[in-house]
Amino acid sequence: MSPRRFTAALLVLGLLTACGPVETPTATAPLRSVKLMLGFRPDVQFAPFYLAQQAGYFADAGLDVTIEFKDGADLMRLVAAGQPESGVFGVADATDVMISRTAGIPVTYVSTLYERFPVALIGPSGTVPTDPAELAGKRIGTPGQFGSSWHALLALLDAGGLSAEDVTIRTYPQFNQVDGLLRGDVDLITGFRNNEPLRLELEGMAVDLLTVDEVAPLPGPGLIVGDDLLGSDPGLAAEFARAMQRAVAAIAAAPEIGFDAAAEAVPAIGEERETALSVLEATILLWSTNGGRIDQTAWESGYETMVSLGFIDGSVPVGEMTSDVAAPTP
Amino acid sequence: MRRLAATLLSLAAFLAAWKLLTVATGTPDYILPAPEVVAERGVRAIGSGLLWEHTAVTLTEILLGLTAGAATAIAVGTALGKSVVIERVLSPYIVAAQSVPILALAPLLDIWFGGGLLARVLICGLIVFFPIAIATMVGIRSADPLLVEMFRSLGATPGQRTARLEIPSALPVIFGGLRVGVTLAVIGAVVAEWAGASSGLGVLINIADQGLFDTPLMFVALVTLAVIGIGLHGLVVSIERRVIVQS
Repeated sequence: MSPRRFTAALLVLGLLTACGPVETPTATAPLRSVKLMLGFRPDVQFAPFYLAQQAGYFADAGLDVTIEFKDGADLMRLVAAGQPESGVFGVADATDVMISRTAGIPVTYVSTLYERFPVALIGPSGTVPTDPAELAGKRIGTPGQFGSSWHALLALLDAGGLSAEDVTIRTYPQFNQVDGLLRGDVDLITGFRNNEPLRLELEGMAVDLLTVDEVAPLPGPGLIVGDDLLGSDPGLAAEFARAMQRAVAAIAAAPEIGFDAAAEAVPAIGEERETALSVLEATILLWSTNGGRIDQTAWESGYETMVSLGFIDGSVPVGEMTSDVAAPTP
Repeated sequence: MRRLAATLLSLAAFLAAWKLLTVATGTPDYILPAPEVVAERGVRAIGSGLLWEHTAVTLTEILLGLTAGAATAIAVGTALGKSVVIERVLSPYIVAAQSVPILALAPLLDIWFGGGLLARVLICGLIVFFPIAIATMVGIRSADPLLVEMFRSLGATPGQRTARLEIPSALPVIFGGLRVGVTLAVIGAVVAEWAGASSGLGVLINIADQGLFDTPLMFVALVTLAVIGIGLHGLVVSIERRVIVQS
């Protein structure tokens, strides 16, 4: 069985056994309008949300969801500041949730979307060290001193007994570090392992990866909600998460429906079907296989890493950063 | 003394309005921090050396970008003002360069020019160039036609006319362009840093905003940029007063 099919089977099995029956509102019940903030820009990786919209998974959960795209910081603030009646959700990096929560931004992580941390160091085949200590002296391209790529890079360097001063870092704030690697301006880049490697291979560059999961595990991105909304209506977050996980499971079982949903929502995605489908299939391998249950062990380990790297001071306990309100029923 | 009092009064009113807004709306610090929160964060950023580390980089980029951009703009603007042919040939390119969003072009310039100080100075200079070049062109052409005729009748060479008549008479307009250019230089440096840099106030904004979710620190960087802009603008105005009185 291929890894993709195995993951798909696990996802479907997990959803069927863990989530239990999804309660659907009566046909006459009005839908609750909520907003979903997604980071970066429209992409096939957001297929579960397009599918949940188009296939009626959100409607089955009593939700009328409007999707908006915001950059990471604005997303976090808007989710935190969203009034309970306006219902704002977001998808964000777990590491950013740790930092923003520590900085006083009241957001809570309620459901895992990416079970595996998607960032890796990527370079031409045969040049990527397997031991992080061998990163010393390398020229590394990364978007900037923020976000999951930066956290992963520092975690990898730390695992090798190194710091940012031991390498030459070149920043690509427009996320065009692939161009830098292709030009030979840098030796390695940070990137999402379900995206940049495929783009580089399309340009004719065979690549190897050093994934942060192997040396310094960090929890992956997931669904977040503001504390006010979570406190006033925890059921809403649970319903949203179930609809999201239902779409995740459906796409894992049949990636084509995810691609079709994404292409319908964003026609530009459909222009490069093979590439987009490849990205989606690589993304599925990273998604949660257990209905979005939060891996507390990964969170605690990641929290310790983030404290040791100085991103957070440990003043907010890790237990206050997540909620099991949307956990699938055992 | 009266001018200083008016400035301080204006600043106090601005800070009071800002504070009032945060209190009246109950906006949390992560959306709009109160002035005293920003001030406290600023003191910490100064104390740790963080603010100066980034400010020094941005100031260097601004001064080099402004100098290079303004010098080129004055030279090109003079040529445009003196020659209709040159204006017809170059104007479309100059206007096109100004019309292209520099935000889209900056990442490419950063890659083409090696991603170092040179790339950032170039981006800053490009942003500064247009208003100063156009102001210079207009200023050169605003020389009194009777004086131009008199210089000609006295046998002045084109170079003498430019140096002794056209440029001096264009100075008020050129300084108008410089006033605009100096504030654009601040924006240009930040745009250049957003295209690729590891330090500078633009980078600090990104780190504070997207990396640390530290909104007060982001405001500290913004206030610092504003202070730099005001300071440089004041410097240009001060030079303008001296130069124009002398000429």
